[in-house]
Amino acid sequence: MAEIRIEHVTKRFGDFVAVNDVSLTIEDQEFVVLLGPSGCGKTTLLRAIAGLGMADEGRITIGGRDVTYLPPRERNISMVFQSYAIFPHMKVYDNIAFGLKMHKFDKEEIDRRVREAAEMLHIEELLDRYPGAMSGGQRQRVAVARAIAMKSQVLLMDEPLSNLDALLRLEMRAELKRLLREIKATTIYVTHDQIEALSMGDRIAVMKDGAIQQYDHPSVVYDLPANQFIGGFIGNPPMNFMHGQVQRVDGRVQVRIGDFALTPAEAMLPILQSYDGKPIIIGIRAENMETLNQPAADALEVEVLVVEPLGSQNLLTVHIGQDIVKVSTHPTFKVEPGMKVWLRFPADKIRWVDSDSGRVLYP
Amino acid sequence: MSLSEIPKRRKKRNWAPYILIMPALLYLALFFAWPMARGLVLAVWDDEALLSIHAEAQRDSAVVGHIPQNAHLDILDQQGNFVPEEELNLENMLTETWFRVKGEDAEGNTIEGWAPDSRIRVREEAEDGTPLAGTVRTKLGTKADPLTSVYAEPNKHSQVVGKLEARTRVEIVDVALLEVWYRVRGENEKGEPVEGWAQSRYIQVFGDESRGRVDRGNTGQLTTKFIDKMIHDRFFLPALRNTLLLMVIIIPTQFVLAIIMALVIQARLKGNTIFLYIFAIPLGVSDLAVGILWFSVFTQNGLLNSILQYLGLISHPSPYLTAETRHWIIIAIWLAEVWRATSIVMVIVVSGLQAISDEVLEAAELFGANLWQRIRHVILPLLKPSLQVALILRTILALQVFAVVIALSGGDVVTVLANETFRQYSDFRNPNVAAAYAGFILLLSMISAIIYLRTIRTQEELAA
Repeated sequence: MAEIRIEHVTKRFGDFVAVNDVSLTIEDQEFVVLLGPSGCGKTTLLRAIAGLGMADEGRITIGGRDVTYLPPRERNISMVFQSYAIFPHMKVYDNIAFGLKMHKFDKEEIDRRVREAAEMLHIEELLDRYPGAMSGGQRQRVAVARAIAMKSQVLLMDEPLSNLDALLRLEMRAELKRLLREIKATTIYVTHDQIEALSMGDRIAVMKDGAIQQYDHPSVVYDLPANQFIGGFIGNPPMNFMHGQVQRVDGRVQVRIGDFALTPAEAMLPILQSYDGKPIIIGIRAENMETLNQPAADALEVEVLVVEPLGSQNLLTVHIGQDIVKVSTHPTFKVEPGMKVWLRFPADKIRWVDSDSGRVLYP
Repeated sequence: MSLSEIPKRRKKRNWAPYILIMPALLYLALFFAWPMARGLVLAVWDDEALLSIHAEAQRDSAVVGHIPQNAHLDILDQQGNFVPEEELNLENMLTETWFRVKGEDAEGNTIEGWAPDSRIRVREEAEDGTPLAGTVRTKLGTKADPLTSVYAEPNKHSQVVGKLEARTRVEIVDVALLEVWYRVRGENEKGEPVEGWAQSRYIQVFGDESRGRVDRGNTGQLTTKFIDKMIHDRFFLPALRNTLLLMVIIIPTQFVLAIIMALVIQARLKGNTIFLYIFAIPLGVSDLAVGILWFSVFTQNGLLNSILQYLGLISHPSPYLTAETRHWIIIAIWLAEVWRATSIVMVIVVSGLQAISDEVLEAAELFGANLWQRIRHVILPLLKPSLQVALILRTILALQVFAVVIALSGGDVVTVLANETFRQYSDFRNPNVAAAYAGFILLLSMISAIIYLRTIRTQEELAA
């Protein structure tokens, strides 16, 4: 069992608080992605778990054992580094065997595990070569093989795919996912790429300014973001946000965008009532709007500014009030810049954001 | 400017880089390669090895053979020859002076011709010492012709134009200074007889004027005699032994210290810049100054004895830097050199350490290597290229160790190769043997550099 518990961990660099009172529990064999923009503290948190930078405050336990102040070698972890950090002076074989040698495994066991790891990553034929002349993708595989050969209960990965080109990244993403399912280690994976996070993680911990913003399954993080930051960070294109005003007309709560009146879902009404007369932010994803080519009572008329054909969809850019909104349409929907279209906002797809706190309001 | 005026661009060789490096090449050739080649040639080229023997007593006459330096000669004849003024006053050179005289013979005929100065007594001189007039000397002995011959040329073999009686007054019209040429017979290097003419400047004549030896030659020859002389020099083996001994004790100490110092600096402790400055101070002190500094520590009334006496550990100052305590001199040189030159290695090692990525070191730590294992399995192998550079540099510098040794031993009790080079050149005035020593040091440097480059290859090179 290798459940990782992170309790109130804080890490400072001088006056800068890189990780601020973070608590997180990662279950045994779970694959958790730490996602966030550069400088959000995700790598710092990972290093604190690895023991490469001790936490200033808080407690970290792995499998019930307090490792907060243990050196890395005593934590039973292995790691894949962003720059791969493979040893340039060793053959691939010795790179993979390094950790096993340091932990004094016997020769046969080392050989067995090195070959097993190499096989899993399809690098058997590279074992006798030096990393110097190898491609980024091959080095990446060596780094991963070195980590999994340890058979540690915990595997840490620090942006392992960020140095690969786009095509290779796509390939490695799927392969890593398969591999991690096979080896059954508890995995923490740091990335700033939200697509990697969505596609790979069992759960995603979204970080910003040293704090966890939301920690949930990818579909929940995508559909039900905890705040405006997460909605705007996750998804391609990110969630659209429009400024509106809550008004009570004839006893019914409405949200006005300019002259257009939006009817919220039934469940939201009690919450929105308290916002009567106040501004509110309406969040909706590009693919959740219905696009009509003729007026309808419950549809907002907008002018198309830009049409981006992306193959599987057409992305329209429109202005709603002061806000730029991206709308995804089926490629068969005929539209030209300058044309008028009508947008319908399904009530259950709208996320209501408190404009002061940025929190998304849920019933 | 219209389009047609723009000159067509032709594909052209770009000479600019070549022109730019010309001054550097010129500089190298002029101030480096040439003097160095000249210097090294001294060690194997004896430019006084052979004396050319001419068919006639003339510089431009054919060379009939060579006689090696120091060979003995029979002197058969001699003759004077004009000698350019700038060549006068050479060592060993024998000259004779001839006067062109004008006077009347017994019959009253005016005779003008050359006579050697041994036959004319100068009676009148101009203010600058130029002889103007004289009288013919009386010949001693009875068998000889009492008359003095006057020759057409300043040469006893030339035609006699007349004879003058003793005490005849003559006008001195001209003076000729002649170098003596000898007709000699000797043997060349193969033992074959050679006979011909050679200038007196190259020949040492023995008392009886019929025997002599080649004092120095005028033709160069490749030789190993300077190298032989160096090898058989009684200081050669001690110097080589001491130089190698110093290398063996200095370099490993320096490397261990330098790597520790570099790791201390790399650990980014508080105040590590101060460490760096302290470590680097010796870089700014000249080696002679360092030698004198350590001399002041180890000398009889020096710092070391003062401290030991103050602490009451010894009652009388004990001498360290004497011929009886050679080991102390070696220890003092070792300390001085380690103190002086370790920081050079450290600087190289620090720059090498900085080139190792932090993530690689962290990976080593994470995969279970402790500090010693990280140094042994990751840091040292990755430092190999830097260590190689430092090792070559340090070995070359250790072969040249000089000023510290001079300061601490005076250059006699403990001697090193560089000191012998200096001594041969300066004290024994023997630039050829000095060049042999210098060439030997160069050879040792090159051999050690090649050994290092071969044995400490980086893994990438081996794989390639």
